[in-house]
Amino acid sequence: MIPVRATFEKRRRAKYISHLDLMRCMQRAFKRAGVPIWYTEGFNPHAYLMFPLALSLGCESGCECMDFRIDGEMSMQEAMERLNRVLPPDLQILSVADPVHKHTDITAADYAVTIDCAEDTAAEALRQSWDTFFAQPEILVEKKTKRGTAQVDLKSQAQLLGADTLENAVRLHLRMPAGTSVNVNPSLLTDAFLAWLPENAADVHTGMIHAERLAILCADGSDFV
Amino acid sequence: MNLFEKIEPLLLRVQKPARYIGGEMGSVMKDKADVKARFAFCFPDRYDVGMSNLGMKILYSCINARPEYWCERVFAPDTDFEALMRENGLPLYGLESLEPIRDFDFIGFTIGYELCYTNILNMLDLADVPVWQRDRGESIAPIVCAGGSCCCNPEPIADFVDLFFLGEGEELDLEVMDLYVKMRDAGATRSEFLRAASQIQGVYVPSLYDVTYNPDGTVQAVTPKDGAPATVKKRIIENFDQCPVPEEFVVPFSEIVHDRAVTEVLRGCLRGCRFCQAGFLYRPFREKSPETVCRQSRVLIENTGYDELSLCSLSTSDHSQIEEMMDGLLTFTETEHINLSLPSLRVDNFSAGLMNRLRRVRSSGLTFAPEAGTQRLRDVINKNVTEEELMRTCRIAFSAGQTSVKLYFMMGLPTETDDDIRGIIELAQRVVDLFYEGERRPKGKPVQISCSVATFVPKPFTPFEFHPQDTREMIAHKQKILEEAVAGHKRIRASWHFPDTSILEAVLARGDRRLSSVIFGAWQRGCIMDAWSEHFYYDRWLAAFADAGLTPEFYANRDRSYEEVFPWDHIDYFVDKKFLIRENEKAKQAATTPHCRLSCANCGVIRETGHPCFTYN
Repeated sequence: MIPVRATFEKRRRAKYISHLDLMRCMQRAFKRAGVPIWYTEGFNPHAYLMFPLALSLGCESGCECMDFRIDGEMSMQEAMERLNRVLPPDLQILSVADPVHKHTDITAADYAVTIDCAEDTAAEALRQSWDTFFAQPEILVEKKTKRGTAQVDLKSQAQLLGADTLENAVRLHLRMPAGTSVNVNPSLLTDAFLAWLPENAADVHTGMIHAERLAILCADGSDFV
Repeated sequence: MNLFEKIEPLLLRVQKPARYIGGEMGSVMKDKADVKARFAFCFPDRYDVGMSNLGMKILYSCINARPEYWCERVFAPDTDFEALMRENGLPLYGLESLEPIRDFDFIGFTIGYELCYTNILNMLDLADVPVWQRDRGESIAPIVCAGGSCCCNPEPIADFVDLFFLGEGEELDLEVMDLYVKMRDAGATRSEFLRAASQIQGVYVPSLYDVTYNPDGTVQAVTPKDGAPATVKKRIIENFDQCPVPEEFVVPFSEIVHDRAVTEVLRGCLRGCRFCQAGFLYRPFREKSPETVCRQSRVLIENTGYDELSLCSLSTSDHSQIEEMMDGLLTFTETEHINLSLPSLRVDNFSAGLMNRLRRVRSSGLTFAPEAGTQRLRDVINKNVTEEELMRTCRIAFSAGQTSVKLYFMMGLPTETDDDIRGIIELAQRVVDLFYEGERRPKGKPVQISCSVATFVPKPFTPFEFHPQDTREMIAHKQKILEEAVAGHKRIRASWHFPDTSILEAVLARGDRRLSSVIFGAWQRGCIMDAWSEHFYYDRWLAAFADAGLTPEFYANRDRSYEEVFPWDHIDYFVDKKFLIRENEKAKQAATTPHCRLSCANCGVIRETGHPCFTYN
């Protein structure tokens, strides 16, 4: 039995596959690919497949992880090649390796979030309003949890690693808490920004927001592998 | 024109966006520069319903098997996405190329349910294609076509459609596409193409027929013009066992209604239940050999990655080699963690051998369809199921550990009395009693019998096509009888629906061409997704009827004489009207007709196929 951690990308059309659907999609991909994946034992055996960190719907990524075990004579390299032949082009495995970290080692994730300007808005104006928004001492939002809603201060949670003013957009580089216990989606922050705009910068209008996860990180800042 | 950039900003604003962006495993991508014709295969309901449709999977693979054709899938957007599409000027597009279907050569609808007619209009409108056939002009593309069981009476939607496919489409659709490419390349107009296509068996071009009416509103005559045939025959596949089937499905990301591999094991039905339209439309009865079923199932499982396989037919236990087939399937499904399910089993040939094989594959409850509560009424409808057979089957099921049985019934059947309705609950109670008599019943578990009672809808090409549907008042009365009858029976649950959708279904099923304006009027009033109770507005339909000077009662509740010209009389599904009349007369006497394997009832199919369906000893 070979434990494998696969890193895969989820882009374009594939980024609209929900986390629950991704599990089913991958299970079917293993069957199609003929990769002998290990089945759990017990009353209702099912393919053992773990995703250490869920990716929110619509977020792109080139650093998603999936754990499985090969139960038979097949190298992890061959498993990857076979899977890529049956997976959609927007959902491809980039590398396979022995798992090093435990899932609980994950503490943060980095994101690039690009906020497009509406046609009537200049990128500088959008950038300025973002800077004002993020300079607030507190950014309080309601976050849905398993036990109802809780108030979260995003200012203390989000780390702004950088911001670029592009031609028609502003790109933010954010580090957010992530992991099995706390997980903060960068869309919470952009949603708060969009809600803040009408009262504080009424003439600034935004277009589409693109989010991409850039890295999954451990406590010491190293990549989760 | 790829619409990805226009679609994407809308996706995170709607429920289940994966339905609108394609890219699933098994979806067929081609380069449009390499293909000669593009077919938009439209299912007039939501993605999760349409993606479950086997007919669509079959024809998608048939068309795409030809390198020069590209077939794409199109579904009705849910109301949230439709609103955004209209707001942002996003036209209806194919899920493969993400390009507008108005630029395709064919826009084809598969129609299996009358209550999706308004969705056809809505999808054409979303696609920027004129909904009325007469407004489409002489440029040849796009040809709006339709197929599927509802097209046996195409008249209510005749004014919206250029061309109907009658019967089985595996060969027919490609023949029509071949003709189209040839004529388009020669510069033909829409009407020139339609005239030529009307000469192909199985093609019905409604604009080539004039309909006149009698003063009482019934059809006087349907008159062909421009050389169109007086009667249009359906098409069937000659060799069903060897007919190509999809070796791959488009496997969706999001959950759909039937999310599994499906193998068709037989087509047609030999039973002749008098209420069942499918049982007459899909004749003759044809089987696939167990070897073919096993081979096709295995390929499909390998290519799709599904862990569930379902056998599909109108009556799976009527397959002459069902046990051999099950044995063949079980050899690989068990070792490869595949769940096997067999819907459509009958109680009169459900053997212990079959039960034993079924026990190995699933633990869910069993479902049977006695359809009527008394033997007299079961004989009227020619269900040919006796109470002893139902009891025998339930006994087998109970001793095998089952504790729940679901029974399907209808109300509003011809000759039905209040006693027949009470008979539903009396029959269910005898099943409950049987459970407690059983010595090998599962201990400590109560039995649960669910009776689902649907409202009967008389359909064309059945012996009951002459019958009035029960009025709303009659149905309400019978539902009350049922409610009173089930009260106090703790182990029986009965369920039924409000009858308005069944009434509309009855109207549209046996309607004529004048209903086009009613359907249009209802759609203009905002009716779409009529099959979904949360979107069903009967008052809007009634207003549309009033505007057109028509009534639903004329279509649903009128006793039709044998002499009347029906709107679908020029459509030939190989089943003779004379046979339907004979069967209707026998129904009045509660006399049954044996199934086709026992003796030939002379339905008319033999006239077309030229040989008996079975060899009789």
